[in-house]
Parts: sequence; structure tokens; C-alpha cells
Amino acid sequence: MERGRFRFLENRLGIIASLYPWVIDIRGNPERIAFTLHRITGIILVGFVALHIISTNTPARAGWEAWVEEVQRLSGVNPVSLLFFIAMGALVFHSLNGIRLLLVELLALGIGRPEKPKPPYIPPSLKGYQRTLIYIVSILSLIIWALMGYVIFLM
Amino acid sequence: MVFDLKAATRTPPRVVRIRVRRYNPETGSSWWQEYEVETYRGMTVLDALLKIKAERDHSLVFRYSCRMGVCGSCGLVVNKRPRLACQTQIAEVASEGRPVVELEPLYNFTVLRDLATDFTEFFRKHRFVKPYILRRDVREREEPTLEYSQTPDELAEYYEYSLCISCGLCDAACPVYASDPNFLGPQALAQAYRYIADTRDELWEERLRLLDVEGSIFKCHFAATCSAVCPKMVDPAGAIQRLRSTLLKYKVRVYRKTRVAKVVPPMEKREPQKPLPPEATLVEGVDLKLLEEEKPVIPVEKLLTS
Repeated sequence: MERGRFRFLENRLGIIASLYPWVIDIRGNPERIAFTLHRITGIILVGFVALHIISTNTPARAGWEAWVEEVQRLSGVNPVSLLFFIAMGALVFHSLNGIRLLLVELLALGIGRPEKPKPPYIPPSLKGYQRTLIYIVSILSLIIWALMGYVIFLM
Repeated sequence: MVFDLKAATRTPPRVVRIRVRRYNPETGSSWWQEYEVETYRGMTVLDALLKIKAERDHSLVFRYSCRMGVCGSCGLVVNKRPRLACQTQIAEVASEGRPVVELEPLYNFTVLRDLATDFTEFFRKHRFVKPYILRRDVREREEPTLEYSQTPDELAEYYEYSLCISCGLCDAACPVYASDPNFLGPQALAQAYRYIADTRDELWEERLRLLDVEGSIFKCHFAATCSAVCPKMVDPAGAIQRLRSTLLKYKVRVYRKTRVAKVVPPMEKREPQKPLPPEATLVEGVDLKLLEEEKPVIPVEKLLTS
């Protein structure tokens, strides 16, 4: 921003603040990590859906044998199955965290009741059960992701 | 804000290195400058800055006013976390192992010089949400003759949000505000909810319609860093979620404000003052009637010469 002979500095963090939570000190704020993961998994899912439409469209039109061949490429360890595995991880976390966010953002649940400040001065929205839901979502998505890995790579 | 409640009982490192991110608007250059400051027990970051300004470098620019966490002028980024300089003790942010305090101007604001930031846009957004009580009866609002009735439970619904001191730490921490300058920001939205939840406010529908626009409330995605850094425990994140829920309910026509406060006469009746009984004298030797008739003369000149 310029005003006369002065040039003032725009001190915006920009998109990096959404993709890298540790650009500021986030102690006592796992919601920020959940927010970042939700964004990153969202971006992965957009790419996955686009690729998925392309990769299933051609074999689905070519007939049953081409389709079976396409599906077989997903089992065992190879670049395609690895990408599929990453996309499935993103899908699991994004959907489970999405349910948590629907509860919080649509229905305003899990963020406690407004209260008068008292030590140790932790705001009610950081004490509500949405915080517990973050841990449940993380652990549950890791378990489901590991099971998916077993199905994709080892079965 | 994660307060270190025992920080005041600890002794900070004897000497700390204060690294300040400076900016000169005339040349447009930005650099880190380092000062060594001798500390004492209970020293705050603002004390250290004032000491630097007094003894080392008078060209250092920062803003402060009350020195006790009430005015919200001295918001800074201390060791990558937005904090109030006057509320942050050196012992809280520096240790013997790492006696370094890094100070930066607030993120997402325009830097005027060194640590001073421009709040014009911030207050424009604050004004946008109409942060005052709106009543249909404008005359009663402007020249009140009676009081608005409100129960303690109704007060508790918004009291927390009314503690905001407009320090801008929440906007500095918000990841959405960082990438979108048009976003209203946690402070303005929390204040919007504070007035919508207030039973004395009558034109809540008008304010809800005002917020139902692009770049407003639906940009928030609950990173909750605003609540985590708030020095007054205002909880903007919670307020925004409640506001969004209210707005969505209003849009599908299932929300109505449960009660709007009516004007009532004061609870205590103000009776005309009773005259004192004739035998009552307040202080021995003082004649009230005489005082009303003849104003006492204070011998100023006599007092000055003696």
C-alpha cells in the first residue's frame, strides 16, 4: 500500500497459513491441524475424483475384460495402488472430520456454553467435546486407513 | 490463550536477546535487529521494549497505551504467537536454554513502521456489523427514559463476547483472514453475534441479512486459532459457529429470537429525597442552612503564602 512517499508493508501470511499450521505457534490448538488436514485432504480428493472419472471411464466403455484388468492394477504394491491408498486415506479423514465439522458448524454442537472467564482461561469452544472428536476422528481414520492398506496391498 | 499462570513466580534469564522485525516505510526495507536487555523478575515484553526505547534505540516504533491488558493497543507477534506485549512476561516466552524473544508486527495487518500496524480496515469491518444496540423506537434508544429488562441468564449468553478489546490478535492468527482480505474476520463476526444474542437488540434480522453475503460468515472453517490466542477469553470461534447456526436456522425459517427486552421502569423506585429532620446535624459545628446561603470562601492566597 502506498500513501504519498511512504510505502507500507502488507504483512499477510497468505495461503501458507492454511497449508502449514506451524507458521504460528499453535500450542493448545489441535483444531488448526485438523483444519489444515481437512484442506489438504480436500485438495487430494478433488484430484482423485478427476483422475477416478478418467481412469474408470475408458475401461468401463471398453467392456468387462478391460474393467477387470483396470481393477487388478489396484492390488499389490505399484504406483497406481499407492496413489489409490493415499486417496483413500484422504477420503476417510475428510469424511469423518466432515461429520465433526457439520456438528460444529451447522448445529453449533460440541463447543460448550458461553461462560465467564475463569482460570486457567481456556475458551469453552476449545473445551467442548469437539476436541475429543478430533482425537476420535484421527485414531479412527488411522485404523480404517491401515485396514484399507491391508486390503489393497496384502489381500 | 494458553496462559502460563506460574510465569510471574519464575525469574527470567538475566539477559535476553530481543530480536525485532523492523520496517522503514520511506525506503521500503525490512530487517531484523537485535538488542540485549537485562531483565528483572516480572518484566513484560512491553517493559523490555520501553527499556530499549529509553536506553538503546529511540527510533524503535511500537504502540501501547494502558500497560495492563485493557486497551488492546500493544498486540504483537511474540515468538510466532500473537500476544499482548503488556500481558506477556519475559519469563513466559524466554528460558535459560533459549533466551531469545522474537517480536514481529501483527500478521495480516498493514505495517506502518516497525511494530506499529494500521487498524483502519479492522475498524471498518467492526463498524460494518453495526456493533451497537438497534431498537425500532429510535427516540427511546437515543434519549432513554426507562430501562431495558434483562435477566442474568440472558446476560450470560453474550457477556463473554462483550469482553472484546479489539486488539486484533484473532485476525492476526486466522488462516482464512491471512489469504482473503475481504473476509470480515473473527473479531467483527464475534461482535455481530454478541449483539444478535443480546435480548435488548431488536433489529437482529437486519444484522443477519447484512452477514448473509459472500466473504462473511461462511468463510470460517473452525481452525479456532482465534479463540486459542484471545487474551480476554472472548472465544470468537464459538461465537462464529453459533452465529452461522443461527443464520442457517433463520434462512430455513426455524429461528426466532426467543425474547426481546421491553422497556421497563427501574426496579428501585426513586422517591423524592426526604428532608433531614430538624434535630439532625451531619458534622458538629456545620450549619447546612448557612452553607447554602453563603458559599464558603477558601483563602487560596493565604494558603499559598504560608
